[in-house]
Amino acid sequence: MFDWLANPNRFKRITNKLEPFLIVISVILITLGLYFGLFDSPKDYQQGDAVRIMYVHVPSAWLASLLFLSLAISCVFYLAWKHPLADIISSSIAPIGAMFSLLTLITGSLWGKPMWGTWWVWDARLTSMLVLFFFYLGYILLSNAFERKIDGSKSASVLAIIGVINLPIIKFSVDWWHTLHQPSSILRFDGPSIDNQMLLPLILMITGFSIFSLYIITINVKTKLIEKKCEALLLKSNLREFV
Amino acid sequence: MKTSHSSWTYIFIAHMKRDFLTNSRSLIDLISIIGFMLLIILLFPLGIGPDKEKLGIVSNAIIWIGLIIAILPSLEKILQKDYESGWLDQIATTDVPLEIVLLSKSISYWLIVLIPTILSSPLFAILLSMELKYLPWLILSMSIGGLGISLIGLNGSALILGAKRGNILLPILIIPLMIPILIFGVGINEAVKTGESPFGNLFLLMALTLIYLVISPFISALLVRIAIGR
Amino acid sequence: MINLENLTIQRGSRTIFSDFNSVIETGLVTIIKGENGSGKSTLLRALAGFTPLENGKIKLNKKSILLSTAEWSQKLIFIDTKNGLSTDLTIIENLKFWVGIKGWSTSEENLKKALKSVNIDKYANLFISQCSEGLKKRAALARLYYSFINKIDFWILDEPTNELDQPSRILFQQLISSFLKQKGTVIIASHDLNILEKKFNIIDLTLLNKRNIK
Repeated sequence: MFDWLANPNRFKRITNKLEPFLIVISVILITLGLYFGLFDSPKDYQQGDAVRIMYVHVPSAWLASLLFLSLAISCVFYLAWKHPLADIISSSIAPIGAMFSLLTLITGSLWGKPMWGTWWVWDARLTSMLVLFFFYLGYILLSNAFERKIDGSKSASVLAIIGVINLPIIKFSVDWWHTLHQPSSILRFDGPSIDNQMLLPLILMITGFSIFSLYIITINVKTKLIEKKCEALLLKSNLREFV
Repeated sequence: MKTSHSSWTYIFIAHMKRDFLTNSRSLIDLISIIGFMLLIILLFPLGIGPDKEKLGIVSNAIIWIGLIIAILPSLEKILQKDYESGWLDQIATTDVPLEIVLLSKSISYWLIVLIPTILSSPLFAILLSMELKYLPWLILSMSIGGLGISLIGLNGSALILGAKRGNILLPILIIPLMIPILIFGVGINEAVKTGESPFGNLFLLMALTLIYLVISPFISALLVRIAIGR
Repeated sequence: MINLENLTIQRGSRTIFSDFNSVIETGLVTIIKGENGSGKSTLLRALAGFTPLENGKIKLNKKSILLSTAEWSQKLIFIDTKNGLSTDLTIIENLKFWVGIKGWSTSEENLKKALKSVNIDKYANLFISQCSEGLKKRAALARLYYSFINKIDFWILDEPTNELDQPSRILFQQLISSFLKQKGTVIIASHDLNILEKKFNIIDLTLLNKRNIK
């Protein structure tokens, strides 16, 4: 399956067909999700309208984690089978994932203001998300830190794998730290019960965000494939001998 | 041809001896690490104020954080020098698995750099008005956690082999990985303070170090093979 | 006999060899020559098992080398332009640790003999940081002596004679002669073909590259 898709031309052909669907579906889902989330769902009895930030915050957090997992899987593929497309996919996922984790942090901070009266609370989830953001950052920085791009890809791929191994450990330690230092009376982001009416927009938004990221990633991959082709052409015409 | 497992210990020790000798020739590195840590410790009272009680409360955490920051600049040297000099190529042309060699490197780093720095912590404890009954726990926790830090540092050092400005990059890659060690390490004395048993944190710290002991050499070997394959 | 079959090696996005075939006879000296950047060092590093092959195989007596790296690496001595010497150690200490990590006995007597073989025994206690390039190179080449004590079949040397003066070159040639007598194989990358008086084979990468560009 992977080998079959790994042919760049076939990849382009398939994604060219898929792209319009992806963008249309994601726009519809996100619009519906936002509508239900903002206008047609109940206020929280404690948090009021502020709870509606959840419809952006939770999907972002979910995607930031999901994308890191996909990044690591793609890195494993790259290290094991050395296929250049896997590397291109990883480097296309990373900035998107970083943006989602940043979005999670920003919305979390915005949510924190009305809830706790400060922009930042050392909540276990937010702290873990901050660490995740640093893993994305590390991946991006490391993959660009070498004279030859491809040298960076390999080391950065290992970093992503290190990250995936360590994230559960970090998550556990941060939770441990959190219970140690703070009484559990503080509100968590996920209330104990989520109303069904809240669940619907949440699911819509998560699916919408996922499909939207898939769309952006395919565009990213295609751009990088073209870049690579340009580079190869330059090499062939001997304009730049050592790339 | 001696290729039995018993000769692996012989080679392991040869690697450690070499690391000890080269490091003893550049003792100034160790002195500057301890000096750096002392300066970090100095900054806290200057920033927080000389209030003994205030300092006493945070002293445990400050010493831990000081240790992590102070050793960061030295981490890259675990492998960088040997990579640049071609020694890693020589290591790769022996029949001992790279994993074992790298394990020896992080253990010697632990013994050569971390243990002496940790053993100077009574000085830091006094400067920060830490109650001396916490000191044994502090040294114990930092010694165990220190091995974990060396193993993570080995990974970090291997990650930046051949990178431009790797020394700037290294802290960003490594500090997130050290969070669990910091949490459990600091937690040991925090538990002692509140009169709880410190063993929960201690066992977690030991388990964590054990996990790194198993994983890190393999990951680093993978990275070193990538580096010498360039 | 070492067979290089359909070798494809990349450095960065640059393909250095594609479908390169060649044979290296065992028991002889083979010199790999070529211009700067033609891939001499890369080929040597691939032979030593460092650089991964994009495609193709390196076979020793019909057995693929990469599949048995540990077995292969124990049989060879690799010295490139980086020498692998620590500046914090003396010449004799460097040699001693090198012998140590190979798993061999580090008797003083043999260390002395090894240093004598490249005529640096009088510099034994000089720190590498104080050595000239020529001395460093000789300190690295002193390792070759251990092929006569232990089981070593291959020397892979990258530009070994660049920094050597004439007397040292003669010593180096003597080392090669003794190694050939015990059926050793020497693979050297160099653009200087005058380093040997003996008969040797040549793999010329210059021609290869011209062909590849077309």
